[in-house]
Amino acid sequence: MSARTTVGRAGALGSQVSLGVWFVLPLIPILLWATARSWTFPRTLPEEWGFAGAADALADGAASAFVSSLILGLVTAALATPAGAMAAYALAFGRIRHHRRISLLLLAPVFVPPFVIVMGANVALLRLHVPPSVGLALVLMVTAIPYTTFIMRSAFASYDTRIEEDARTLGASPGHVLLHIRIPMLSRAITASAFLAFLVGWSDYVITLLIGGGAFVTVPIRVAAAASGTGNEALVAALSVAAAAPPLLLLLTLNMMSRHRTSSPRETAEPSAFTPSSPVIGARI
Amino acid sequence: MNASLQLTDVSRTHKGAPTPVLGGFDLHVAAGDAVAILGPSGSGKTTVLRLVAGLDAPDTGDIRIDGASVLTRPPEQRGIAMLAQRPRLFPHMSVLDNVAFGPRMTGASRREARRQAEQYLDLVQLPGLGRRQPSTLSGGQQQRVALARALAANPAVLLLDEPFSALDPSLRADMHQLLLELRALLQPTIVLVTHDHQEAVLLADTIAILIDGQVHQQGTARQIYDQPASITVSRFLGCLNEIPGEVVSGCHVSALGQIPVPQAGPNGPATLVIRQEAVRLVEQASTAATVIGRVERIVPLGARSLVEVATSVGPLFAEASSGQDFRTGDTVGIVLPTEQCVLLPNQVSVSALSDTARPVRTSTSGSSRRSSTFSAGSNTEC
Repeated sequence: MSARTTVGRAGALGSQVSLGVWFVLPLIPILLWATARSWTFPRTLPEEWGFAGAADALADGAASAFVSSLILGLVTAALATPAGAMAAYALAFGRIRHHRRISLLLLAPVFVPPFVIVMGANVALLRLHVPPSVGLALVLMVTAIPYTTFIMRSAFASYDTRIEEDARTLGASPGHVLLHIRIPMLSRAITASAFLAFLVGWSDYVITLLIGGGAFVTVPIRVAAAASGTGNEALVAALSVAAAAPPLLLLLTLNMMSRHRTSSPRETAEPSAFTPSSPVIGARI
Repeated sequence: MNASLQLTDVSRTHKGAPTPVLGGFDLHVAAGDAVAILGPSGSGKTTVLRLVAGLDAPDTGDIRIDGASVLTRPPEQRGIAMLAQRPRLFPHMSVLDNVAFGPRMTGASRREARRQAEQYLDLVQLPGLGRRQPSTLSGGQQQRVALARALAANPAVLLLDEPFSALDPSLRADMHQLLLELRALLQPTIVLVTHDHQEAVLLADTIAILIDGQVHQQGTARQIYDQPASITVSRFLGCLNEIPGEVVSGCHVSALGQIPVPQAGPNGPATLVIRQEAVRLVEQASTAATVIGRVERIVPLGARSLVEVATSVGPLFAEASSGQDFRTGDTVGIVLPTEQCVLLPNQVSVSALSDTARPVRTSTSGSSRRSSTFSAGSNTEC
């Protein structure tokens, strides 16, 4: 191994470790606070350990906020993922005119400050008498669509539609092609796209607050309220953990499933056992 | 299951293209027959298959399978299956599920579809590979699986779009043999698209020469090689020798003299063509030689060599066997067996020359011929 290679690998490892520390470091005080019963200055670590913060959070309505966030994340993913996939398909295969301009329009929620979008949308939704729940779902979907469209368009760029033609000539209807070919083949991109859309809904604060009109109290709203008002660090930390844990767990789960899929043995031991090769979205026919 | 296929007056112009890719295309394939559509790149071969498969629609004309028009049927209801140059196996399915795809789509239970798939994998000599993922197979194995997948769909017509052109020669020969065996066993109706002459001759009962979107000739390999319909077809089939001249009283009259040609036809301008494989090279002193020339170039072709001989009427080409030892600069005699000479009208399609060896035509001037009347191999008097 040459000296240059060794230095290169050491540099890469150093960068990875630095990046890991950069991400993990802010979480350490939160985890400490969330599990601290008593922690006073100038002590480095809490004097007493416990889950008073979690108990306070539950008493403060964290459970219902958690459920609200979960619903909002799932609804956003359910709406923005297929919408983004359809938009990406149309853009990738040139089924629409002026696709460059439409691409820019779809990406507009990323360029324009969210507060501007929310204020404009809020006025429009109020005048149209759209219920807050429906309005919230629609605006979150619009906010998430740039991400889902971008991911799906990248996936479609390397997707050979001739494989669908082969499936058609083998007797598959357009519905069968969608179910048995396109969705399974794009399952990774769809999963990543849905995950990002879920994050948009799960972590949103401004849109939920303004469009929801206070009817939807989610985890980020609880965190913001606790952080700005109570002075109860353990409560804020417990709510922060509740806000950060589900996406992280979801990410780890998806990553593990993906690794399992790529490292799964090529041959199964049992001749009659047909394991679908895509655990995310089954590929059985 | 097999069925007849009939394409009548089919034309297709792609959007934005100045000329039609197919114009007035006719083709008939009897049930159980194999027809090869042979043509240069861009001649419209793949378009024919896409139209039959329902992946594209003709501007005019009709396509009938077993006598019934299929123009309004979607691809999945036409009873066809297509095998392309690349196997394009479904990467998210096991090999067995790939092959079982067709039966599953036509309503078979999963168990039954897989049972059938195993049989077809046995047929393509890949038993026991059903549980593998496509990415773990070699290119040749993947193409066999794709063939099994197409056959398992039990198509009335099997469409093969240059299916073996991406394989190395050894694998290609194996696949040819396999397809011949499967033909004998299953007797499917086959339309094979290829630009490989040998493949067409080997696998098909009849060959349709497609040039400029039109069938220039359809017949058995023997018919099209022995009696090409036009100079365009002759050139496409790789014939290198053309001698312009005129038919006078059953003889072709040119700078080479009078050559008696069987079935010469009416008097008028005509080009005499003879394949380089038919031309013989002899000693210059031989009385059989009609033209004397000097060896200009020798191109090795494996067991044989292509010899270019410069004559005073222009270059002529002959294939020499390994036993004939010619060197550049040698003076040789050339024999043109008259029974293998063919007379064709002087009409050429330009695009036919793009993918094939461009023949060098002899000059009409010059007088280096050995005799004024050809008699080699024939006693016919003009």
